[in-house]
Amino acid sequence: MKSYYFYTNKMCVGYDNKPLIKDIEVALPKGEILSLIGPNGAGKSTVLKSIARQLRLLGGTVYLGENVLTEMKADTLAKKMSVVFTERVKVELKSCRDMVATGRYPYTGWFGVLSKEDERIVDEVMELTHITDIAEKDFDKISDGQKQRVMLARAICQEPEIVILDEPTSYLDIKYKLEFLSLLNEMREKRGLTVIMSLHELELAKIVSDKILCLKGEYVERYGTPEEIFESDFIERFFDIDINGFSKNEKLLSYIKQIGKYER
Amino acid sequence: MHENRKRRYIAVLFLLGICTLIFFILNICIGSVGIALSDVVGVFIGRERGETVTRILWNIRLPRAISVLILGGALSLAGYLLQTFFNNPIAGPFVLGISSGAKMAVALVMVFLMGKSIRVTSAVMIIAAFIGAMLSMGFVLMMSRKVNSMAMLVVSGVMIGYICSAITELVVTFADDADIVNLHNWSRGSFSGMTWENVKVMTVMVYIIFIAVFLMSKPLSAYQLGDAYALNLGVNLWLLRVCIVIFSSILSACIVAFAGPISFVGIAAPHLVKRFMNTTEPIWMIPACFLGGSAFCLFCDLIAKTILAPTELSISTVTAIFGAPVVLCIIKKRTKT
Repeated sequence: MKSYYFYTNKMCVGYDNKPLIKDIEVALPKGEILSLIGPNGAGKSTVLKSIARQLRLLGGTVYLGENVLTEMKADTLAKKMSVVFTERVKVELKSCRDMVATGRYPYTGWFGVLSKEDERIVDEVMELTHITDIAEKDFDKISDGQKQRVMLARAICQEPEIVILDEPTSYLDIKYKLEFLSLLNEMREKRGLTVIMSLHELELAKIVSDKILCLKGEYVERYGTPEEIFESDFIERFFDIDINGFSKNEKLLSYIKQIGKYER
Repeated sequence: MHENRKRRYIAVLFLLGICTLIFFILNICIGSVGIALSDVVGVFIGRERGETVTRILWNIRLPRAISVLILGGALSLAGYLLQTFFNNPIAGPFVLGISSGAKMAVALVMVFLMGKSIRVTSAVMIIAAFIGAMLSMGFVLMMSRKVNSMAMLVVSGVMIGYICSAITELVVTFADDADIVNLHNWSRGSFSGMTWENVKVMTVMVYIIFIAVFLMSKPLSAYQLGDAYALNLGVNLWLLRVCIVIFSSILSACIVAFAGPISFVGIAAPHLVKRFMNTTEPIWMIPACFLGGSAFCLFCDLIAKTILAPTELSISTVTAIFGAPVVLCIIKKRTKT
């Protein structure tokens, strides 16, 4: 048990005291990536928000390193965990660089003035995430894809040990999706970053994840490595895809089969 | 780039300071009796310039100008806090009905105490105004949980304002003749008749709140990103919200207790300042908003005093003329994007 960085014990999540998903048990060593997949409305965001302490846990315990998540102080947690959510961020007169710099908040003094070191980290992270060219643009006036990349840079700028991402790739085109995935890989290798994210793209989940959590209904449908999840016709069953409905379309049919398969 | 921006902020702050100073001096010199600047300086450095001039300066002009300076800044700051709180550029103590709530409470207390011939002190007025402001604020907060649109929230605020004003009118109608004159002037908003005692109390109150708000500039900055990110950055949202609500209510209460409800300054001043500064960063906006509000109110009071002299316009008339178009501009700009 000791070698895990993030693990849960009978975690129960939901809104307004109504449990949505019960008995979630996952365990991640440092530097592993956990993907949450499931149909729309399955509760992926609910799980992520509960882990990020945006929602109260309805039961069970979540551990982060040596600590119980719910007992950690807010400013300590801010230095360990950062987030990117899907909700639109509405800000006024802030440049992209300003937005990235907000990630330094937990490290600055009483008035939040950035030190030289903070400024250097902001520049470095923007370089790393390839957003230096839009640094001085108004955050309110860039595209959704660009916003997503800025918010991701912001999360990295917070220098977390674990990052919680809710559909981080939804607005990205293929180039940035690939860039994003290679960035995640780099971060886990260099800094031992642990990642928990929800993904819609099963193909991507299959490639990047160390563990996959399949959510549907009141209990966890399935949890395991990609090899274990992507086998035979599980994906079809899991997403309620009726193969017979597509029997006349050869191309779609082979596409469905291909998603469900795991190749080494 | 960053250095340039910082220079801009400092330049705007400096300009706002100069504007405030100029309007302040004009307010002291201009009135029903014109006083030359040399006489003003003369009185300050203790040279004899005739008893009338000295008395006008010390007892009327100076306390009035100082109170406009302080309350104008407070009003603008209260507006900025509420706009940040509701993430809504047209929120302010007047449109959300907070001023009217305070006005109602003060009117009730005044009529009640005057009826028993008890002198109404500044402290009593402020406490009454604060309770009224908190009552309105409570209603607005309740509404804000139910309605999601910023327009609807403002409409609810305006309605609360109307209800409070109606009750105030009712109370005023039933008050004794002697009270009415007093109440009527005040309930329309006016800076006239400020005493040094008033000035002392408001200076202390507003100064304390200003410092407290300034110390909150870091969490306020994170709050602008929305609840989820503020929470993740380690902000104690509950505490911050309580502080914003209480501080903006105290500021509103101070203004209403001394000068009555004043419209639109709370929206117009922060908005104009924000445009000049080209930032929403609290650490710069808090002092800039204060100065902007001071300059705006000093300017409006100057017009209220002079344009139809010797009759004095109510301050809200003037602030509405200059402030309401700004609000319309904000709405126009918002609906475009």
